[in-house]
Amino acid sequence: MNLSILLFQILTGLAYGMLLFMMAAGLTIIFGLLNVVNLAHGALFMVGGYVAFAFTKEHVNFWLALVIAVMIMAIIGVLIERFLLGRMYGKELEQVLLTFGLIYIFTDTAKWIWGSTPRSIPIPEILDFSIPLGIVAFPAYRLFVVAVGILIAILLWYIETKTRVGAIVRAGVDDRHMLSALGINFKLVFASVFAFGAGMAGLSGVLGAPILGLYTGMDADVLLLSLVIVVIGGLKTWKGAFVSAILVGLVDTLGQVWFPQFSMVVIFVLMVIVLIIKPSGLFGKGVEA
Amino acid sequence: MSMLQVKNLSKSFKGLQVLRDINIEVEASERHVIIGPNGAGKTTLFNCITGDLPLDSGTVTIEGRPVSHKPNHTRVHDGLARTFQKNNLFNQLTVEENVDLAIMACKPYRFRLFKPMSRYADMREEAERLLTEWGLWDRRHRKVDELSYGEQRLLEILLALASKPKILLLDEPTSGMSPAETIKTTKLIQSFPRSITLLVIEHDMEVVFSIADRITVLHHGEVFMSGKPEDIRGDERVKEIYFGGGMKRHAEA
Amino acid sequence: MNTKTKTFLHLACAVILLLLPLVLSKFGLKLTTEIFIMSIFVLSLGLIIGYAGLVSLGHAAFFGIGVYTVALLGKYVSSSYVLILAAIVFAAVTALLTGMLFIRSSGAYFLMITLAFSQMLFVLAYKLKDITGGADGMPIRATLDLGFGAIDSVKELYYFMAIAFMISYALLYMFIKSPAGKAVVGVKENEHRMKALGYPTRSYKLLAYTISGGFAGFAGALYAYFNHFVSTNVLAWQFSGQVMVMCIVGGVSVLFGPPIGAALFIVLQSYVSSYTERWPIIMGIIFIAFVLSGRGGIAELLIWAWNKVFGNKAEDKPTVPPPSAEPEGPNPKGVASA
Repeated sequence: MNLSILLFQILTGLAYGMLLFMMAAGLTIIFGLLNVVNLAHGALFMVGGYVAFAFTKEHVNFWLALVIAVMIMAIIGVLIERFLLGRMYGKELEQVLLTFGLIYIFTDTAKWIWGSTPRSIPIPEILDFSIPLGIVAFPAYRLFVVAVGILIAILLWYIETKTRVGAIVRAGVDDRHMLSALGINFKLVFASVFAFGAGMAGLSGVLGAPILGLYTGMDADVLLLSLVIVVIGGLKTWKGAFVSAILVGLVDTLGQVWFPQFSMVVIFVLMVIVLIIKPSGLFGKGVEA
Repeated sequence: MSMLQVKNLSKSFKGLQVLRDINIEVEASERHVIIGPNGAGKTTLFNCITGDLPLDSGTVTIEGRPVSHKPNHTRVHDGLARTFQKNNLFNQLTVEENVDLAIMACKPYRFRLFKPMSRYADMREEAERLLTEWGLWDRRHRKVDELSYGEQRLLEILLALASKPKILLLDEPTSGMSPAETIKTTKLIQSFPRSITLLVIEHDMEVVFSIADRITVLHHGEVFMSGKPEDIRGDERVKEIYFGGGMKRHAEA
Repeated sequence: MNTKTKTFLHLACAVILLLLPLVLSKFGLKLTTEIFIMSIFVLSLGLIIGYAGLVSLGHAAFFGIGVYTVALLGKYVSSSYVLILAAIVFAAVTALLTGMLFIRSSGAYFLMITLAFSQMLFVLAYKLKDITGGADGMPIRATLDLGFGAIDSVKELYYFMAIAFMISYALLYMFIKSPAGKAVVGVKENEHRMKALGYPTRSYKLLAYTISGGFAGFAGALYAYFNHFVSTNVLAWQFSGQVMVMCIVGGVSVLFGPPIGAALFIVLQSYVSSYTERWPIIMGIIFIAFVLSGRGGIAELLIWAWNKVFGNKAEDKPTVPPPSAEPEGPNPKGVASA
């Protein structure tokens, strides 16, 4: 195929992969640090997008809507952690039931308020242009998404290597009383982690809305993709999520070219192959049977 | 042919050499005790012998048959059994259920789907015999959580005996016990028939010298010395290893 | 509670269930029939969660395989025996193959992988619209016929499903009492020790998973005959989630927990949805309230209540002796024999 078309596809895959990374990052953070499988993650993504939509619909500036939505999602994250999940650390079944209940509530509320017709958020004006690439033109907004993804990756890398936050949180999950004894307010720490994860979900929801749209049932699609990325990349490693998200993004986009309609199956085959070779994912540090 | 032979066994964790070129031979019927200060690598050695940890190099042979790379759950069928330093029981199950599982592991019907387990008469007889001989029959309906520490330790040994092992590995059997419990347990170990070979890790020197036929001293992951109890007891260098290293009369928890 | 009481209670329940058609309306009968079918499905999940310690969020995959087998194969084959058997076999084999791959992974990972797998099947069924009817679904023409004539009236289906449920329950009960079943529980309680005792633990987990898959497929096949229609909803993860909710609410530590959860959920959903379209929100609030109350499942609650009322023989024994009690050592008459 034409080189510039190939380049276009690769860039599209990359941009999609970055979006997936941001999507999965929230899930990875909450699971990696707090050991909680937040099934409501997809719902948080969706709600973030819808909240921003509620503002852009009224002609509020995209960026302002973005900031507001992220803040609202972060607050919701704190509320969930403090009042609901906070007492369920270590109890897997209870977490599943709880987050499931949240999914029901969030998705039906969204349906109630905004209806079942698909919605969308228009690309912000500043980025509403395309960069010419040979015979095709690549949307600048998607490059912006790639840039944000890289920024987030750098942020996570910085937090992990240059600060002790990760170690502190993980230690706290194991023994919160020890943390208190060390003078660290573990309640604040846990709530912050959840706020960060939920905020990240919201951020990606808003940024993704111009590309993916907003529709009923998208929470399931988002959750599934996030889970697949985490499974392929490995548990508790955002590095794994990064690599696997890009991999999945590329495979999916290029797969659409050769096997339209069956990109999901291609991704599944990829997942199976990874699992056969490395049962804990590409970068996972799991215990293998 | 010795019962258990460990040859040139080495094991390292992420660059740290925990065991280096270990050679141990345990003859049939022998009571072989491994001693050494904390961190000498004793439990790691056990884990390599039982297959819980893969060894980097060397071999483990049971009655002449190499088992070095076989998965840990197959070694019971080669005649090996072990206890753990920290109780590793089925805490939510009753004493009887614990013993049942241990006995059933070696039965040909352990995969059967239809007849209730309680109807296998041979298992019931064996369980009754084992529990009665070791004094836990009256406690058989109690959950492990409800037992005293000493009883749990006893159950720990019982589970290993259930498979009728040829060689039994005891990892610090008296760890955490009071003086009275320690004496009882020592008598117990002394009463084991010679058809069972014993390889024991122990810290309590009185226990060591009460049961050992041979002693191997482990230090910094190497075999420092191996020989008869009298030779070890009098050796100045062995005493030196323990000075400041924590030779205590009673095992710490 | 001793065996006689247990047997009596079980038989009493069976009798009540068989007599229900005398008092239930047509709607009630249909609802209860659906409860029977779902109970088999929920039991299959309860088996692996409660007895094998495998928490799967993708069990709809096996149910879906069961339904679609009857729907699709039913176009070429009419024998109910063949169709139901095929459903069970396909589901069980899928469970076996995926289990071999997935069970190597630990708890939360297993949860995510099972979810991903069932969603893959969902997307596959969705995209293969021409064959499966996709989200719009396809009608199922196959009729249930065991050789005595078609079973298609509301009452006939009720009795058939009731008996299917009872047989499934009995078989699963037999399994958990069998040597294999006891070993499975052992693996869940302490896998490390089971390995040290000589058990190939992975094989046991695989066994439980395969049996569970087979029963889920069985439930799916029954659903096909009951509903006469299938859409991709049966493979959706929301369905897997619902079943898990039924399981948890009912209680996973005993076999009769999941069916209670199924009955409660289905009745509640039917009741609430008849009042408001916003039933998911209400159900969601109920789940959360349930979890926050921290009581375990309904089955556990019932057992606790029973013990309060009737007492429990084991509890009457003397409590734990003081820690200084010594173990008694070997019986002086006999030395420990090897």
